[in-house]
Amino acid sequence: MEILLQHADLVLFFILLCLGYGVGSWAERRHYTSITKREKEFAHLPVVTGRESYIIGEAEKSTLVTGSVVVSIDYFKRLLAILRNIFGGNVKSYESLIDRARREAILRMKEKAKEKGADIIINLRLETSAIGQSANKKRQVGSVEAVAYGTAVSLIKQ
Amino acid sequence: MKFTPKEIEENVNVSKTHPLVEFFWLAGGLLLVVGIVFLTLGLLTDLAVSRTSPKIENWLGTHLSFDMKGEANPALQRRFDDLLTTLPEDSPLREYEFTIDLVDSDIVNAFAIPGGKIAVYRGLVDRVESENELAMVLYHELGHFAHRDHLRGLGRGLGLAVGSALLFGNDSGAADLVAKTLLSFQANYTQDQESAADGFALEQLANHYGHVGGATVFFDRLAKENSNKTSHLKYLLASHPHPRDRIDAINNLIKENGYPVEATTQLAKGILLKENFQ
Repeated sequence: MEILLQHADLVLFFILLCLGYGVGSWAERRHYTSITKREKEFAHLPVVTGRESYIIGEAEKSTLVTGSVVVSIDYFKRLLAILRNIFGGNVKSYESLIDRARREAILRMKEKAKEKGADIIINLRLETSAIGQSANKKRQVGSVEAVAYGTAVSLIKQ
Repeated sequence: MKFTPKEIEENVNVSKTHPLVEFFWLAGGLLLVVGIVFLTLGLLTDLAVSRTSPKIENWLGTHLSFDMKGEANPALQRRFDDLLTTLPEDSPLREYEFTIDLVDSDIVNAFAIPGGKIAVYRGLVDRVESENELAMVLYHELGHFAHRDHLRGLGRGLGLAVGSALLFGNDSGAADLVAKTLLSFQANYTQDQESAADGFALEQLANHYGHVGGATVFFDRLAKENSNKTSHLKYLLASHPHPRDRIDAINNLIKENGYPVEATTQLAKGILLKENFQ
């Protein structure tokens, strides 16, 4: 017991590490399940990046739709990234984070478009920014924000 | 063109490697690298130390500042100088000019600093009862000089600090973690040094007084004082061996070498502390 108290910071580190890994991967799995389910739901609403002129004349109304999400890294992912910073290479632990953030942002944007009764979203743009710039410094945990925005268009019903 | 919704089956944006696998590769690699660096630094330090003459060490001691806020204590110095007289003629310790400082603190400790300085805490003098016990402690510190332990410690500590700062920067959790892991190896190393210094002290004690009475009395007293809070587990990571192990080791040495054990001389502690603290 005494040795645990003496090295409290080490013990805390391992608890945080296990917590980060356990809860982090559980939350990630849950999120991915939800993403896949909703992507199927919204699959019939097309989203394109182009500013195509083919819908000119067919559009009834258009409106800006946005979706944004902030996802935080967990303690385990952060440690993996720190280790990666030493050896170099792909920071694999952050890949799923960015992937989830982007897909979630698009999904939220699609939900908004659905509310407005849109048939297609054109001119999709995606932006990512870091919140908590010094993610690996001074014991801070960083998060990533993904914003998706586009023009939701309702077509004239024929 | 008709739009047909399709499900995306493959996700190329996320690597398939399991995070735990990646973690073990990275952490293992790091430990290996740090371990190699640490061992190399240790060996280099040992090599450098064996080639450092007391002259260079004295120079080092005067140019690096070790401020312990100690004061010179003539009564202690006289006792110490007397202890030095029985060192062998060819002892490398004769090249040092030893000074001894008394530090006003309740901590029960004494330590050796490069360049022939020894700091003794008031807490230690308070708990010492006989001349022989004091001599054992002082000879123990001399043992560190004889084995150049303080220089080794300095080199290794410096190497460790520089290495972890280079790898992780000054203030990061990873640096702390690595330092702690390595310190536990270091602990083994320093515990060996302490035992060696005890051996040296015992030999000199026998030379000086003709017997080794009082050698374990001081450690015995400390062990009894702390008996409720000194589990062996705690000493896994400590720089000094467990007091009981230490006493057993010293007793073994006494038996092996057949040193006689006789009565100790009472220490006039009042005079010793008076010069500085009254």
